Amino acid sequence: MNKATPIVLFVLVLVVAGASFAWFLTSPGGAASFTQGSYNQTKVIVLYANANGWNYNSTPNPTLNEKLHTLLAFKVIGQDGLAHTLTINPGTNESSSLNDYVVNVQIPTTVGSVTWVNWSFSSPGVYTYWCIVHPYTMRGLLYVNSSSNNSSAASPTGSGMIPSNVPNTNEFALISNDSNEKIW
Amino acid sequence: MGFSFVLAVFGSTIAAIIAMVFLLYYFSMDYRRNLIGESASSLSREQSNLLLSRMRREISFSAFFMDDSKSIGIRYLITTVILFFIGGLAGVGMRISLWYPFPTFLTPIQYNILLTAHGTIMLYGFAVGSILALGYYLLPSANMIERDNLGIVNSIMYWFFLIGSLFIIFSRSTASWYFYYPLVDQLSIAGGGSYSFFTLIGVSLIQVAATVSSIIFLKMIFLDRNKSIPVSKISLFSWSIVSSAVLIITSAPVSTIANGYLIYDLINPVFFQGSSVLTYAILFWFWGHPLVYVAILPAFGLIYEMLPKYAGVPLYSYRAGVFSLLLLMVFSALVWGHHLFNSGLGTIWDLMFSTTSFIVVIPSAMSVFNWIATLWTARGIRLTVPMLFVLNGIIDFIIGGVVGVYSADVGLNAFIHGTYAITSHFHWIFIGMTAGMAFAAIYVLFPTLTGGRTYNVPLAKVHFYLNSVGTILMSGFWLVGGFEGMPRRVAGYFGIFQTYQDVAAIGGVILGIGFLIFLINFAYSAYQAPVMSNDNSLEGEVQPI
Repeated sequence: MNKATPIVLFVLVLVVAGASFAWFLTSPGGAASFTQGSYNQTKVIVLYANANGWNYNSTPNPTLNEKLHTLLAFKVIGQDGLAHTLTINPGTNESSSLNDYVVNVQIPTTVGSVTWVNWSFSSPGVYTYWCIVHPYTMRGLLYVNSSSNNSSAASPTGSGMIPSNVPNTNEFALISNDSNEKIW
Repeated sequence: MGFSFVLAVFGSTIAAIIAMVFLLYYFSMDYRRNLIGESASSLSREQSNLLLSRMRREISFSAFFMDDSKSIGIRYLITTVILFFIGGLAGVGMRISLWYPFPTFLTPIQYNILLTAHGTIMLYGFAVGSILALGYYLLPSANMIERDNLGIVNSIMYWFFLIGSLFIIFSRSTASWYFYYPLVDQLSIAGGGSYSFFTLIGVSLIQVAATVSSIIFLKMIFLDRNKSIPVSKISLFSWSIVSSAVLIITSAPVSTIANGYLIYDLINPVFFQGSSVLTYAILFWFWGHPLVYVAILPAFGLIYEMLPKYAGVPLYSYRAGVFSLLLLMVFSALVWGHHLFNSGLGTIWDLMFSTTSFIVVIPSAMSVFNWIATLWTARGIRLTVPMLFVLNGIIDFIIGGVVGVYSADVGLNAFIHGTYAITSHFHWIFIGMTAGMAFAAIYVLFPTLTGGRTYNVPLAKVHFYLNSVGTILMSGFWLVGGFEGMPRRVAGYFGIFQTYQDVAAIGGVILGIGFLIFLINFAYSAYQAPVMSNDNSLEGEVQPI
């Protein structure tokens, strides 16, 4: 046996295995990761997953105005037993690139199942929350407003400026007079 | 860009094959002269191949330029060990990533890529590859073959195998090793992956290579065997290769055809789109379950060969061994439905496959009791490193096999099917038997493979103990976690399972360190001066030419 053969084999195994491992990790879309920001309060947002639209039976696809430094606890309730996801990406449109997904959680297909999705945004801006399975109907906007500058973010659908420190009644509206409950 | 990339890969592959053919003709005669002497040029290719496959052959890169059976075996051996380390590194990466419930080191897609790479490379690259390696290397000696005339076919099949492995590595598919239909043809990164069909091509190439090699193994055993060996004296390793070969020949083409349908469906979805989603799953598992028996039957054969040598007595019952191996061949072709218990095959089919899965216990237990009886009647057991691997393999097979027996229950299977209990079941067997016996065989063949060197025994024992302890930690804690419902094939998990995952991660890292020590031991020991004859106990006596 040639004396160089074992050394060559040793180096070959290590180099090929390491290179393959590095190659596996350089997948497109694999490197994306969003970090959560710090938060000092928690806000519960109830969303009914319905193929016709989020919260279809009360206010379909509500525009959400939330403050930065808030842990947004999305309470997603499956309403029609179909496959849904809660997907959030920056911008006012759905993104097809997995790199953009801040949140992408699959909702169980059981009617009435509750899925909690917690996220604290690290930067203010406008985000789109939607469902990958029903992108045309289940799509709404989420404004994350910086608390230091209230007037910077405005909702295009609202009547003028909506300051973010106005308590959002979304949660109470959905829980107290809950027309969504009627279906199931 | 994608289209030109495909063209580039195919073009360079064809160019490489042409270059290799020229190199083969240029180098082969030269290396033959080195090994046989000046008479090589006066011999025909078949005669010199026969001489070469009767010699004690050591690892050398010149094997890539010769096409006798043992050279092919050495090619497969080198390739397979490299593939084992690629797949192993992917596995260790997954373990480390699962240290915390929320994935920090790997994103889910990277995890899926590593999962697919680990499964596909370990099964098609290592399990099938090590069978081909040991078959080509040991069968000529075990059967004292009288002809070695299909060198070109063997060589082409080796290159199929190598190119298939490269395709699998380069595809970065996330479709897992069974390529279920709707996923594998979705080329987004969240689906099967952009080049998922590369894996299909690679797997098909390896299946073709395995099928043709199996036919050649059967030819070696039944047609080319020396006439001095009657059928009743064929070695049990050869019988185990017969079982594996028949399983491969009967079931691999089914999966190859299904892969062809999948690749066609990529362009024009006509085969699986309109039919039941079970269609592809059934076509796949018709091969998928025989594949795992293909992976362990040669390990059975190696245990049958090695155990008597280190126990100091003949095997307790040769006939029971042959009977067990052939029964395993028959029954393991009938149990594939137990992978689809929860997919809706129907109660009658579920019960039938459950019954056949229970029946497989009988031939397996025949083998285990045969080994135990051999150990029971032994007069002086030598605990050498290969013997330690054999004993560890038997114990691991019993544990993993028992988990497999109650996984065959339809009701219990509904609960544990998607959990780590199943992962634990086949890792007990694959690490203990398939990988363990392959490395034990390498230890036995070490003086031959390295031309008279001997391995460093303390380092080898460290390798063994790390291997054994790592398996127990990893598979054992997977088993307990699996029965508590720890889901498998996911990049993250619920926090209550963190203990099991952390211990399994420690076990996985220990396993990785163990195999790294094997590699260091190999390079270190083979670099020393030769100290002994290049004979080994697995190949029998050197044959007169």
